[in-house]
Amino acid sequence: MPSLRRLQGRNNEGTLLLVLIGLCVIMSLLNPVFFSINTAFSIMRSTTVPLILALAVLLVIISGGIDVSFPVVAIASAYTSVTLMLNFDFDYGVPVVFLMSACIGAVLGLINGVVIARFRLPTLIVTLATQGIFFGAMLTYVGSRYHPDLPPSMSRLSTVNVVNVVTSNGKAYLHVLVLLAVVVALLVWGLLKWTMFGRSLYAIGGDYEGARRAGFRVVRTQVLTYVLVGVIASLAGVAHIVMSRSANPQDLVGGELDIIAAVVLGGASIFGGRGSVLGTVLGVLLIQVINNSLLLVGVPGAWLRAAVGILLIVGIGIQTVSARRKARRVHSVEDAATPAGKEA
Amino acid sequence: MPKNDLSTGLRDTNGRVDSLVRGMVERARDNRGVGRMVLVFVASFTLFAALNPRVFLGPINLQNIMVSAPEVGVIAVAMTLAMLTGGIDLSLVSIANLSAITMSTMYTALGASSPGLAESMAVPILLAGIMVGVLCGLLNGVLIGVVGITPILATLGTMQILNGLAIVWTGGSTLYGAPSGFVTFGKTAVATIPMLFIVFLAVAISIAIMINRTALGRKMELQGANPVAALFSGIRSAKVLLGSYAIGGGLAGLAGFLFLARNPTASADYGTSYVLLVIVIAVLGGANPNGGFASVAGVVLATLTLQVVSSGFTALRLSTYQYAIAQGVILITVMIVDAITWPKLRRGKKRIASGAPTK
Amino acid sequence: MTTNVEFGASVDAAPPVLSVHGLAKRFGGVVALRDVSLELRPGEVHCLAGENGSGKSTLIKIISGAEFPDGGQIVVDGESRERMDTTSAIETGIQVIYQDFSLFPNLTVAENIVLTSAVAQRHKFHNARRARAQAKEIVEELQLDLDLDADVGNLSVANRQLTAICRAMISRARVIIMDEPTTALTHAEVTNLFVLVDKLRDRGVALLFVSHKLNEVLRISQRVTIMRSGAVVTAGPVEDFDIKSITKFMTGLDIDDVRTLPELSPEAEVRLEVVGLTLPGAFWDVNFQVRKGEILGITGLLGSGRTEIAESLFGIVPAERGTVRVDGESVAIGSIRDAVSAGIGYVPEDRLTQGLFLEKSIADNIVASSLSEHRTKWRVLDRRRIRATIDELFQKLHIQAPNAKAAVRTLSGGNAQRVVLAKWLATNPKILILNGPTVGVDVGSKAQILDLLREQARRGMAVIVISDDEPELVACCHRVLVVTKGRVSGELAGDDVSVETIQQSMAV
Repeated sequence: MPSLRRLQGRNNEGTLLLVLIGLCVIMSLLNPVFFSINTAFSIMRSTTVPLILALAVLLVIISGGIDVSFPVVAIASAYTSVTLMLNFDFDYGVPVVFLMSACIGAVLGLINGVVIARFRLPTLIVTLATQGIFFGAMLTYVGSRYHPDLPPSMSRLSTVNVVNVVTSNGKAYLHVLVLLAVVVALLVWGLLKWTMFGRSLYAIGGDYEGARRAGFRVVRTQVLTYVLVGVIASLAGVAHIVMSRSANPQDLVGGELDIIAAVVLGGASIFGGRGSVLGTVLGVLLIQVINNSLLLVGVPGAWLRAAVGILLIVGIGIQTVSARRKARRVHSVEDAATPAGKEA
Repeated sequence: MPKNDLSTGLRDTNGRVDSLVRGMVERARDNRGVGRMVLVFVASFTLFAALNPRVFLGPINLQNIMVSAPEVGVIAVAMTLAMLTGGIDLSLVSIANLSAITMSTMYTALGASSPGLAESMAVPILLAGIMVGVLCGLLNGVLIGVVGITPILATLGTMQILNGLAIVWTGGSTLYGAPSGFVTFGKTAVATIPMLFIVFLAVAISIAIMINRTALGRKMELQGANPVAALFSGIRSAKVLLGSYAIGGGLAGLAGFLFLARNPTASADYGTSYVLLVIVIAVLGGANPNGGFASVAGVVLATLTLQVVSSGFTALRLSTYQYAIAQGVILITVMIVDAITWPKLRRGKKRIASGAPTK
Repeated sequence: MTTNVEFGASVDAAPPVLSVHGLAKRFGGVVALRDVSLELRPGEVHCLAGENGSGKSTLIKIISGAEFPDGGQIVVDGESRERMDTTSAIETGIQVIYQDFSLFPNLTVAENIVLTSAVAQRHKFHNARRARAQAKEIVEELQLDLDLDADVGNLSVANRQLTAICRAMISRARVIIMDEPTTALTHAEVTNLFVLVDKLRDRGVALLFVSHKLNEVLRISQRVTIMRSGAVVTAGPVEDFDIKSITKFMTGLDIDDVRTLPELSPEAEVRLEVVGLTLPGAFWDVNFQVRKGEILGITGLLGSGRTEIAESLFGIVPAERGTVRVDGESVAIGSIRDAVSAGIGYVPEDRLTQGLFLEKSIADNIVASSLSEHRTKWRVLDRRRIRATIDELFQKLHIQAPNAKAAVRTLSGGNAQRVVLAKWLATNPKILILNGPTVGVDVGSKAQILDLLREQARRGMAVIVISDDEPELVACCHRVLVVTKGRVSGELAGDDVSVETIQQSMAV
C-alpha cells in the first residue's frame, strides 16, 4: 500500500501519468500513425509555449493566488521587444531579445506583485485589471500592427531544429525551443524543491497568516513571485513569436483559462500550497495529446475545449468527493481514540 | 382638540420623514458600492459631457449607451448572484452564446419548413433559449452545491464544455437569423428608452427584490457570508446554490436573447471579453468576492459607468485599447481606496477570528 | 489584592530568563493591560490563568513581539527593553505555540519542524534530506512517535501539537508559551503532553501555560499567575491555590451559591427521548429522556463523546443506530435540516465560525434560521413580522448594541452568544441543545444567559446543556449525565448535583 501511494504521487501525478500512457496506448492501437516520432515531436512542439506559461501560473497558484494577466504579459513583453528592434532597426542576437523581454516582463510582474502584496487585494481581481491595462497600453503606445517579418536573428532561430530524423512518414523535426521549455521546467522544479523561496511559496500558499507569524517574509516573496511569473511568461512570449514566425499582438490573449485548467488538471490546488512541476508537465501534455488524438481519430478539433472541460470536471469532482470521504473517516477515527476496541 | 391633533400629526409626519431620511442615509452608508458608484458615475458623466458635450450628450450617444449596456448588465447581475453566495461563474458568457445559438438554430430550422411559423414562434423560441440557460445553470449548481467542487473550477470546466459544444455546433462560424420579432424588439423604444434597457431594469429590479425580499435571496447572502454557520442554521446549502446558479443561468440565457435582438447573429466566441468584464462590473458595484454582500443597484450603476466611459472615449476619439486601460485603472483605484479605508475593519475581523479578546 | 508581585522571596534561585514589568496596553479607548508583571525562570512551568478577555492573549502577543506595549519593560537575560519584535523574540528563544499551532497543513512534519528556523537563519537553499535528518534528530531526542513524512494536514490534533513543540525546540527555545494547550486533546493525549512537558522542563526550558481550564494545568505547573480585566490579581506557588480559589480570583465571584432551578412538575411530559443511540467510534448505547421544562446537563472529559452526542442529535454527524423521539413521535435525524424540522436548535461551542455570520447585522443573524417561517402568503418575506421578531428578541435578550443593524463582529462574547440564542428562539424550538453555553462569555452575561435558559425551560422547552464547567451545571441543571469513554457512566439528580459529585463521577 505505501509504495502504491508513493507511485500515486503527492498530487496524483501517478494517476495522471497512467491516464496519459493509457491514452497513448489506445491511440496507437486505433491508429498506428499516432505511434511515431512525428507525432511525438509535433506534440512536444505544440506543448512548448503552453508549458512555459503553465509553469509561470504554477508558481502563483502554489502561493495561493491566481493570475489571469500572464498571457498579456507574455505577448506584451515579446511584441514590444520585436517592435523596438524593427522600429529602431537593431538586432544584437537572440539572447538580447530574451533579456529585453524578460526585463519588460519583470517590470509588469512587479506592478502586479506590488499592488497585490502591498494592499493585500484579491489576486484574481487585480490581475484582471492589470490585464486590461497592460493590453491597452501595448496596443496604444507600442503598436497594434502585425509584423509578418521578424528581426533576422529571430527568424533564423525559428528554423533551427535540435533533431532532424528521417522516418518512414517523412522528416521529423524537433524545434530548438523545446529545449527552452525543458530548461524552464528544470529551473522551476529546482527552485521549488531546493530553495527557501520555493518552500516559502508552499508555506504561504498553505497558510498565509501562519507564514507571516513564523517569520517568512511574505510580502517580499509574493512580489518576487509575480516578477518571476512576468519573466517566465515573457520567455513564452518570445518563444511563441519565434515559433509562429511573426509577431501578432493579439496572440495568446484569451487563453489564460485554458492554461489555468491545465495546471489544475496537473494536481495544483486552486487554494494554494499544492502543485508540482511534474504534474503541470503531465497536465499540459495530456491536453496536447488529447488534441492530437482527436484530430487523428477524425473528431473535429472543436471538441477539444469540451473534452478539456469534461476532464477538468471529472478530475476535480473525483478529488472533491474522495477528499470529503477522507475527511469523514478522519473524524470518526479521532473520536475513537479512547474507546478503541470496546466495540467488538 | 383639532389643533393638538394637527400638531401631533405634524410631529408624526416629521418624525416619519426624519426616520425615512435617516434610513436612506444609513442605507447609503451600508451600501458602499452604491454610494461610491453614484459618485463615479456622476463624475465620469460630467467629465465627458464637459469635454465633448456635442457628441457625448447627443441623442445617438445616449441611446447607444442604453442599447449596449443591457447585455453586459444582465450577465453582470448573474455574476453578482454567484458572488453573493461566495462563488463566481465563469461560464455565463458561454451559456449566453449557447442560448443565442439554440434560438438562432431553432428559428432557421423552423423557417426552412415554414417561414411564417418561425416568425410566430418567437416567444416559444425565447423561452427555449432561457430554458437552455437554466439547465446549464443547474449543471453548475449540481457541481458546486451537490458534488462540492469549488465554484471557480466547476464553472471553468462548464465554460470549456459549453463553449466547446457551441464551437462544435456552429462549426466555428457565425449563424445568421433570428425571429424578426427579436429584431423589432431590439429597435423599439418607449419614450426614447429602448426596450432592451427596460428589460435590463426589469431584471435588475426583480433580482433586487429576490435578494432582499425572499427567503431564498436572504439565504444566498447568509450562505456567502459564512457557509458553515449557514449549515448550522439549518439552511439547505445545496438548494440555495442550485437556485442561485440556475437563476444566473436563466439570466445568461436571457442575455443570449439580448445578443440576438441587437444583432441577429450568434457565434461561439461572441463577447469573450465579457467573461472578465462582468467580474469587474460586479466588484465595482460592491459585490464582495468573498461572498455575503452585493448590490444590484451598484451593479446597474457600474454597468452604466463603464458604458459611459466607453462611449465617452469614443466621443473623444480615444481607442478601445485606451478604454481597456481606463477600465483597469478604475478597478484598481477603487480596490486600493477600499483597502486603505478598510484595514481597521479587517484587523478587527482577524482578532475575532483568532479567538483573541476584543476588549 | 496585589498588583505588583514580588518573587524575590521565592526559593528558586535561578535568575529569570524573561520577565515583564508594569506592562500597559490600550486598544483605542479600551484598556487591555495595566501594570502587568510576570517572571519566567528556566525549568519551571508557569500557568497564566484568566477568563477570556482578561488580557492573557494580549500579554503573550507583547512577549512574542506581535504587539507593542504602551508602557512598561521587557527584561531578557537581565537586559531591559521597551518592546520586542517578532524576529528578536525568536532570536532570544521565545516561541509561542498558538491554539491553531500555525502549522502548514500542506507540508510534511519534517518540513514544518525545520522550515521556521531555516527562515530565521536566512537560509537561501533548502536541502530536503538534511532537513529530514535534523527533524529526525529532535523527534528522537524527545522520544516522540511522529511520522516525519506525513502531511501535517492528515495528523491528529495531538500530533500537530507535538510537531509544533518540536518546531519550537529546534529553534533552541528557552521559553515556550502554549496557548490553551489542552483544549482540543483527549485525556490520554493530555497525559502524553505532560510527559513531554516534564522532559522540556528538565532541559531548563521555561514553559508558560495559558489557560482557562484548570484541572489539568494545576497538575503540572509550579507557579500560577491569575489575570482579570487586564491586570494581575494574584500570583504565587501552585500549592497556595485550589480550583475554587482560582475560579474566584478569575471571576471575582463566589460560585457555589447559585443553584436556581426552574420549577419542574412531576407530571411534565417527556419532550425528548433517546434510546440506544450509537455512533461507533464516538459513543455507544446512549439512553436518556428530557421532559418539558427540564434542563439536562451532559458532561464528561474532553474526548469523552459528550460533544458527539449533541452533534448527532442535531444531525451534524448522524448516529448510526438508535431511536430519537420528540413528543413521543419517532424522528429520523439524518441531517441538520431534519433536526431543525423536528424542533431542535443547537448553539455550538465554536460560535464564531459555526453559529454566527460575523459580517452580517444582528437582525440578519436573528432571523437566519426562521426565514421561511416569516413569509406572507405571496411567498415574499413579511418585513413587518420580521422586524417584530427582531425587536422582540433584541429587547428580551438584552443584546447590548446601538441597534439591530450593527454587525455581529462588533459585539462582545456575551452579546454574540445572545444573538445565537435569539436565532434559535426565533424558530420556537421544542428542544434547545447548548454546547458550552458560556465559553468565552464574561461573568455578568454568564448569569444572564443561564437565567434565559431557565426562562425558556419554564415555558416548556427541553434544554440540554453540554459543558465541562461544573459550577454552571450545578447552577441550572435538574439532572446531569456523565459521559465516560463514549458511554453514559453516571447520572446525578436533585440534591446530588454539586461541583464535588460531578468531579468525582468524572474521575472514575
